Amino acid sequence: MPPPAIDARKAVILCVDDEKVPLLVRSRVLEKAGHEVLSANSAVEALELLQSHLVDLVLTDLLMPGMNGEELAREVKTRLPSMPVVLFSGVNQLPSESSRADLFVSKLEGPDYLCQKIAEILGQFQSPAADA
Amino acid sequence: MSANGLNPEMGHEKREDPARLQDKANILLVDDQPAKLLSYEVILAGLDANLIKASSGTEALEHLLKHDIAVVLADVSMPGITGFELADMIREHPRFQKTAILFISAIHLSDMDRIKGYQRGAVDYISVPVIPEVLRAKVSVFTELHRKRRQLEALNRELEQRVAERTEELTERADLLELATDAIMVRDIDGKLRYWNSGAETLYGWDRETIVGQDLHKILSTQFPVPFSEIEACLFQTGRWEGNLVQRTRDGREIVVACRKALRNDKVGAPAVILEISRDITERIRAEDALRNAEKLAAMGRVAGIIAHEINNPLEAILNIFHLLRAHSSLDEEAMEYARMAEHELLRVAHIVKHTLSFYRESQQPVPVSIAEVLDNVLELQARNLQMQGITLEKRYLVDAAVQGFPGELRQVFMNLIVNAIQAMPQGGRMRLTIREQFNPETQSSGISVCVCDTGSGINPTHAKQLFEPFFTTKSTKGTGLGLWISKGIIQKYEGKIQFRSVHNERTCVTCFRVLFPRNISLKKSTAGAALSTVSG
Repeated sequence: MPPPAIDARKAVILCVDDEKVPLLVRSRVLEKAGHEVLSANSAVEALELLQSHLVDLVLTDLLMPGMNGEELAREVKTRLPSMPVVLFSGVNQLPSESSRADLFVSKLEGPDYLCQKIAEILGQFQSPAADA
Repeated sequence: MSANGLNPEMGHEKREDPARLQDKANILLVDDQPAKLLSYEVILAGLDANLIKASSGTEALEHLLKHDIAVVLADVSMPGITGFELADMIREHPRFQKTAILFISAIHLSDMDRIKGYQRGAVDYISVPVIPEVLRAKVSVFTELHRKRRQLEALNRELEQRVAERTEELTERADLLELATDAIMVRDIDGKLRYWNSGAETLYGWDRETIVGQDLHKILSTQFPVPFSEIEACLFQTGRWEGNLVQRTRDGREIVVACRKALRNDKVGAPAVILEISRDITERIRAEDALRNAEKLAAMGRVAGIIAHEINNPLEAILNIFHLLRAHSSLDEEAMEYARMAEHELLRVAHIVKHTLSFYRESQQPVPVSIAEVLDNVLELQARNLQMQGITLEKRYLVDAAVQGFPGELRQVFMNLIVNAIQAMPQGGRMRLTIREQFNPETQSSGISVCVCDTGSGINPTHAKQLFEPFFTTKSTKGTGLGLWISKGIIQKYEGKIQFRSVHNERTCVTCFRVLFPRNISLKKSTAGAALSTVSG
């Protein structure tokens, strides 16, 4: 069975953050915006989930213990070059080019801005999750 | 004179003269009779002098030219040149006018008259037969006279030499004072200026003729770090004082000088004058402040980073929570309104944090930056200052223009211009911001011109040239003097220009800074009605 076309089903977003409450409410906001959300408490967990699930976009916090958001982005892009990755942070430090993330969003822009940016990125990456 | 062979050019100073070197007087004996010469020699042998013999007037003249002769002892009646003729020749020459002449003569009445004719100079006579004691005594007196005169001359020369040396030393010192770049001043106890070197002229702008005699510190509007009475007390007690003064130059710039003062007393010990040396340290202080500010900023950056991390994470979560809460189906209308208000207030907090603590670091790629947005952004941050100073704001955004560039840089440029304008109007006034299309005949294309105009204190024409130099500020040490310099650098990166004009008339003064972006722009005409707005402070 071929997977349904991207616009015919909900996009799956893998949401990564080491802090539980922010991760929970962010996931809820994304769900309310019409996405399906997988959440991971660490980069390692995120990489595991990527192997077992169909994912359309990875949204990761920048500063995390162990493997941080930049390293995760680099790892994801190495394994799945067409996977959109959004770095999300409360600090004003722009990630280095080598992270290869597609977008950097500040936590201070608010939920509406985040949802809007995610929709834009999803629109740019037309390739279905099944490719992964 | 030259007919007599007495050449004045033969200076006696340079001549080799062993007798002179031995410091003995020379006595010239002139007589045609060798026996007489011999007898004079014997009579005068006891004097500590060199005896030079000449058997004729001619020979005597030769000796006169060669030696420094103290006394000429001459026989009146000689064949050839007589004693009197010799005396005439000697007297004619300026160098020998004071040379003593002693005639030896049998007394004739005519001779006596002639001798009296010489009375003005050192002339005497001895009658024959010569009495040895008399001859010795007279020669001795003249020799002594000569010695004394030579000593006096030597003393005079020495004095002249010393005066010349001292004059040279003083001239050198005066030259040094004029060479110094420090301002060197002498004022009397009442404050009246007496001396003002060229270093002071350069530093303060007043020339010596204008300022000497005036009250120094009144003219320079000196601000002392401690009450003036304390400075005076210190000067009178210890004779010295040093410290930093804030002064005003002729063109109105405020400068900081490191000043050293010393008190000089007059001969009876009363305070007479105060010497002051001042060095301009305005730029040094400014550079130090700039460095300190940079360090402060770096420390603030570190703090901001920590706060950003520790505050922004929970802030984002709370924003999300209220976002969810507001849309929750079980809320009644009142609760929903509270949730909406809470979310709104939180967004304000996030906005402030974003614009103060965590300015985005610039991305590597230029993006289209709306000039109107940049200006509004700066105005928002300055809203409180505008209001407090009662400044009326007029916005004339005639085009909706964007420049391809970096938002942070452009914000810095207009932040500088707008803050300068606000600071120029402490008593209130009007500020007008204009964005308009500007056709550039050189490139045959349209650019954007952005004007920031104020009705503030204006710009002194003498400052116009320095305005865009680093470390130039009229705010003394309060400004870094880097704002306009950095702004100009940024504008040049955009291949643009920054210009200013300050127009004074009796009632008002308008200062306009205009920034031109000639390329990499996009334009959309605004509807004129929507673009103009005036806000009263």
